[in-house]
Amino acid sequence: MTGLPDHARPILQPILQVENLTKRFPSVLALDNVSMDVKRGEIHCLLGENGAGKSTLSETIYGTYLPDSGKIFFRGAPVEIMSPKDAIAAGISIVHQHFVLVPPLTVLENVILGTQKSGLYMDLKYARERLNELSRNYGVALNLDARVWHLSVGEQQWVEIFKALYIGVDLLILDEPTAVLTPQQSERLFSVIKQMRDEGLAIIFITHKLKEVKAVSDRVTVLRKGKKIATVNTKDVSKQELANMMVGRDVVFTIERQDMPPGEVVFEANNLRALNFHGEEGLRGVSFDVREKEVLGLAGVSGNGQKLLFDVIVGQEKPTEGSLKLAGRDITNTTTSKRMKLGLSSIPEDRIKEGLVMDFMVEENLILGFQRREPFAKGKTLVNQKAIRKFSKKSIEDFDIATPSSKQISKKLSGGNLQKLILAREFSQETKFLIAGQPTRGLDVGSTEYVRRRILEQKRKGAGVLLISEDLDEILNLSDRIAVIFKGELMDIIDVNEADIEQLGLLMAGIQKGEEV
Amino acid sequence: MIRIFGYSLEKKPTTSPIMEFVAVLIALLIAFGVSALLIASAGANVAEAFRSLLRGSFGSRSAIAETIIQGTPLILTGLAVTVAFRGQLWNIGAEGQFFAGAMASYLVATSLPELSRVPMVLTIFLAALIAGGVLGAIPAILKVRFGASEVIVTVMLNFVVLFFLSYLLSGPWQDPMSAFLQTSRITETARVSRIITGTRIHIGIIIALISVVVVWFLLFKTTLGYEIRAYGINPIASKYKGIPPLRTIVLTLAISGAIAALAGAGEVVGLHGRLRLDISTGFGFTGIIVALLGRLHPFLVVAAALFMGALWNGSLAMQITTGVPIALAYVIRGVVLVALLAAETLTHYRIRRVCDE
Repeated sequence: MTGLPDHARPILQPILQVENLTKRFPSVLALDNVSMDVKRGEIHCLLGENGAGKSTLSETIYGTYLPDSGKIFFRGAPVEIMSPKDAIAAGISIVHQHFVLVPPLTVLENVILGTQKSGLYMDLKYARERLNELSRNYGVALNLDARVWHLSVGEQQWVEIFKALYIGVDLLILDEPTAVLTPQQSERLFSVIKQMRDEGLAIIFITHKLKEVKAVSDRVTVLRKGKKIATVNTKDVSKQELANMMVGRDVVFTIERQDMPPGEVVFEANNLRALNFHGEEGLRGVSFDVREKEVLGLAGVSGNGQKLLFDVIVGQEKPTEGSLKLAGRDITNTTTSKRMKLGLSSIPEDRIKEGLVMDFMVEENLILGFQRREPFAKGKTLVNQKAIRKFSKKSIEDFDIATPSSKQISKKLSGGNLQKLILAREFSQETKFLIAGQPTRGLDVGSTEYVRRRILEQKRKGAGVLLISEDLDEILNLSDRIAVIFKGELMDIIDVNEADIEQLGLLMAGIQKGEEV
Repeated sequence: MIRIFGYSLEKKPTTSPIMEFVAVLIALLIAFGVSALLIASAGANVAEAFRSLLRGSFGSRSAIAETIIQGTPLILTGLAVTVAFRGQLWNIGAEGQFFAGAMASYLVATSLPELSRVPMVLTIFLAALIAGGVLGAIPAILKVRFGASEVIVTVMLNFVVLFFLSYLLSGPWQDPMSAFLQTSRITETARVSRIITGTRIHIGIIIALISVVVVWFLLFKTTLGYEIRAYGINPIASKYKGIPPLRTIVLTLAISGAIAALAGAGEVVGLHGRLRLDISTGFGFTGIIVALLGRLHPFLVVAAALFMGALWNGSLAMQITTGVPIALAYVIRGVVLVALLAAETLTHYRIRRVCDE
């Protein structure tokens, strides 16, 4: 950790003031009368769970959304920000979670592209000088002539930040910027934005990670379900207090992983190679095995082949080379449904797109994939309504799914309940091997806890688990062994008791032990 | 999000069934409003025209019977489209499949003349099922194997079937006693017409009503129906949960084609007794409107089919008494479809003002 924020600096005038902002979307009140202010020379965290309104608030400040009511003051005067163009003109910039860069263009061209003030002439020379000056100032090496698609996600983020600085920005909004970074890269980002703050910039830093709030911010505004809970000085609150504000009740932090002797090997991947969506080799010789009563965590920055690995394992993509074994049988060329019958259960990364039929009733979704099995079917062809009803009643109870009835249309359920629905379905069969892709992403704290508990319960019952997650804390909390994936290759597989976050971070960046950083 | 002049179209998360029903009603009202304008512009008395339309469709025993007769093939083509649309497979080929069924009937009736009535009729309908099923499976296989859009393939197959039929009717199959493009009458043992005395109501309605129950059972009581619906709403999740795309798509479109073919067989066996190009007044295409009007539910499809049948029938009467051409019936069909699609969009979206200054 780098040094704590410097609180000795004089408190300056607020550069941004937001008063009673309300924004309603068709189904939710995304912002409910929210007021806050951001000062020059401060890093102000917006903290909240998914759906708390953090992104809506920042997008409203940036002009992507128009508020239903409320006022925004910038530099002390009321402003009408009708579009991002107005925001940029006023000196407000945002770095989105999903970057808006043109991959085939160079870094320099990308910076110019978004910032050309007017006219046909591109002043490349000035831009180059200015960018070189910026990268020297912040100590970030950036090759201005590299094509953006060659850059890592972390580097692309720097391009976005430099783009904002190049236009001239007084208020910079960073929307969950560490989601795509390794721990070391995050540290680097923190120190740079602290320098920016010290130079007088105002920064809004959106996150749901408490650790980051403590590491980087001067003040923090906590949002919950569209309402502002409080704005506090970061140094005056503890992580626990912040967590309680964010969730609205007392939070238990860690789940106890139990060490238990693993059993037989239940799943094996041998030298897997596969092509991704772009036709490039997305998996480049991946080998690992998972034993009964064991959780193998797969850590890695998003987009390094995790999704492809998931698809190959469940049978949605064919490997070009290598083999898969499940419960002692070669399944390389078998169908998805055959694999399911052999005891494969899966929790897909995108539960709405890949895991559920949202217009189906809860009870229908509870048997998706099992519709031809006893007792849900009579002789494979006829639906056994009674058995399905009985099963769904039991599942709703056992898995604590909040729904008025088993006939409720699934899309009316919350994210946490949808995930519980998937768990109930997947665990309705005897699970030999569970593959879970980002099983807690986007869930509130309560559901996250629940899902993790249920996954560990499967392990206790004897299943082998492959847990794919971008959340290192989750990996460290649940796994027995940790594999790190980088550009389609496994960098290493380490025992959790020997793993430390520093080392994992290096591996996630593709740097082997002992190598030069 | 689309913004026009300070208004935007936003997707609504859910829609109540009542709203959907109201939307259908409004669509029909709009269709009749437009029709009224057209009738008036044709110089006819609107009230009188509508009165004769109503009389022509429901005004007497025989009018009602004729409405049922018109509605019979529409129930079947409507069901065919319903099955396909439930699986998000856009079968626009019911017209061709209708004729495939009709041609199969003629072929069986003429090549197996020695069969007695019951085996004859059973064989005819079986042959129609197979013909329609095969024709339906072609676009399915092309879709899965080569990614060809079923919309294009089914539309094009309509032409293939229709032109092939015109060739047959102007040559090998043409009635030697006639100058028209038609076959000779099929044998009496292959015909089941006038099952209710005093009307032309024929075996087709029985086939249609049985099909309604069968389709309902298929969609909601069988595992295949479950898979068709699951695949239709979310093909990706269905694949991830092991529902095989090839089997599902092929079966869906084959079943759809087979049902449409039954309509063609019914018309030949029950009504016309011979094959002509005009035994369909566009039943295959009207089936799309019927399916949408019936909210893709087999039972509602019956009501929608009878409604469209009544419209056609009434328009005939209207032409006779008021001189408004029957082409108006086509116009109303078209307007109903457009209004339905608009209503569909508007029930799932809302229009909002986005800036208030």
